[in-house]
Amino acid sequence: MTSDEVSGIAAPIEKVERTVNVRGIVTHMFEAGLPAAKPLLYLHDHGLGNVWLEYHQSLAQSFHVFAPDIPGYGLTERPNWMRDMSDYILYFRDLLDQLDLDKALVVGHSLGGWMAAELAVWYPERLEKLVLSNAIGIRVKGSPVADIFAMNPQEVLATCFDDFSAAMPLMPAAFNTDYLLSQYRQLTTLASLAWNPGYDPKLERRLERITCPTLIIWGQNDRLVPAVYGDAFHRLIANSELIKLEGTGHMPMFEKPAEWTRTIREFLLEQDS
Amino acid sequence: MNKLTFHYFHLMPWPYLPADFDEKYDSAWVTLPNSIYDPVKGYAQYNRYLDEIERADKLGWDSVIVNEHHQNAYGTMPSPNIMAAALTQRVKRAKIGIVGNALPLHDDPLRVAEEIAMLDVLSGGRIISGFVRGTGMEYFSYNIDPTLSRERMDEAHDLIIQAWTRPGPFAFEGEHYNYRYVNIWPRPIQQPPPIWLPGTASTETIDFAAKHKYPYMTVFMPMEQRKRAYDLYRRLAEEKYGYEAQPEQLAFCVPCYVAETDDIAMKEAERYILWLFNKGLKVRPQFFVPPGYMSERSLRGMLDSGSFGLKRTFKELIDVGEIIVGSVDTVIEKLSYYTDVLHASMLVTGGHVGEIPDYLVLKTQELMAKEVMPHFRDKAAGTPGDQPAKVSLS
Repeated sequence: MTSDEVSGIAAPIEKVERTVNVRGIVTHMFEAGLPAAKPLLYLHDHGLGNVWLEYHQSLAQSFHVFAPDIPGYGLTERPNWMRDMSDYILYFRDLLDQLDLDKALVVGHSLGGWMAAELAVWYPERLEKLVLSNAIGIRVKGSPVADIFAMNPQEVLATCFDDFSAAMPLMPAAFNTDYLLSQYRQLTTLASLAWNPGYDPKLERRLERITCPTLIIWGQNDRLVPAVYGDAFHRLIANSELIKLEGTGHMPMFEKPAEWTRTIREFLLEQDS
Repeated sequence: MNKLTFHYFHLMPWPYLPADFDEKYDSAWVTLPNSIYDPVKGYAQYNRYLDEIERADKLGWDSVIVNEHHQNAYGTMPSPNIMAAALTQRVKRAKIGIVGNALPLHDDPLRVAEEIAMLDVLSGGRIISGFVRGTGMEYFSYNIDPTLSRERMDEAHDLIIQAWTRPGPFAFEGEHYNYRYVNIWPRPIQQPPPIWLPGTASTETIDFAAKHKYPYMTVFMPMEQRKRAYDLYRRLAEEKYGYEAQPEQLAFCVPCYVAETDDIAMKEAERYILWLFNKGLKVRPQFFVPPGYMSERSLRGMLDSGSFGLKRTFKELIDVGEIIVGSVDTVIEKLSYYTDVLHASMLVTGGHVGEIPDYLVLKTQELMAKEVMPHFRDKAAGTPGDQPAKVSLS
């Protein structure tokens, strides 16, 4: 393939919507990209299942993107036994097996970033490169991650977005009981993973096990997961680089999609020196 | 048999909120700064409340009741068992209810089993042991995973009942609680102490109560909602568990205020009772229902009913039966509705609300005890004075 084909100039890539059975968990996912492009597993944040947006499409111009709904989000149900991070780590390994991916590029945002980091710790051989964007999973004393459980939907938006207009794709069609219950169900999944503690106390020590090239990318103004978390991930992961984007916060892929995807694309396409 | 038994329920609120509370604070729970609490004033307040409860005992209430709440102005008894211990030395006749200990909040429920056993021995077998899950707010205050609330409740319940009734030592093998040696000293006098379950009318709690034949107590709610809850209890008892539920299994917790006339009662009670609903129960909605605390079915029911976050005026609270305020005749008439129509026979009421002065508390206590209670007492069953401790010291 030529460099033009992978740089996004080629014709738009069509996405496919499908389900894959991961040891009984029927996982809904979007998939898009040229068959020969490198596989990229995209792990979304809390509340961002079952969406395919500009940033997904943009990444799919260069990579073969797999964007599953993490169990408990979107259209993938979470079985009741699935209630801590270790269940998710095993699930993602099984998902990679099911997709027949020996090795993948893994990009995780926030909650998905925590899962991506854990996967890289436990199964380093399955990752070619890792991108953590505004990720949780560790603790930086004195700079707590904001308490999303105590916030109403307006406060969540105000905490996550610098630019409300960028949040339009997430606005519900109707603000009714069904919508409130779907929010509640997703928060219940988050609470299972992150009520107390809201991080993995062991992860900080274990991050040194991550061997693949890693990009830490953060919206400088993140009020949910302060940018000092990016500094900490960078310090703890040896083979990592850190890029902070100005003029955006917790949702850089919504507010600065071109800059965010370009930075990630360049990092992922870079040849190992 | 008595048509109605009377239970004096105290929250021990901290009524002294700043004048700008309504504008400045969105919650009397979790985040209300504790600089608002004055411990020196608290000394007088606690003792005044204990005096009030002691009077309820002398005036003939069947039980006095305390409860557990954390980090709030609504009820300042984070450890209700400490308050119950104090009451064993003041309350000589009535039963002493802890309604209840919030089981899922405690990582070590064996401690609850031990403390209730101690209290039962200390009081001569007069303890009523309520079990609750705690409000949603408490899951923030104690940082307990709300998604595990019901599982921990059920399992802690099983552990505690076994600890009270099974000869120890034995092992308890649970999902959330594991003990190699359960062998509590002391054991309770009552085998076991009676259990009450208060609830907000969720199907799950009503089912649990009906299954175990535990008295189910509706907390503050409109009459219609209580009626539905009791109907469900009776139906579950009959159809699912094969017995006929008795009035003694149904309790209703309702703020009551009695005075000389309806007008006087309304005038005197309004600002104090409204403190309870507008200030004491002012809660951030997110604190009220943390994720996983309620089943989706119960949450849907609450959202669809439109009752969530509904603010009622004083008159509306009276009209829907969420509170009872009036003359002796009015109060008798309304309580008769519970006994005759709802077939519930335990009235849980009290006590101090807002900054109500003690002389008004005394007045309503005396009118209730001397004018209202006799109407519902069965003369042949004897007076409450005939219910001593289960054991005597002689």
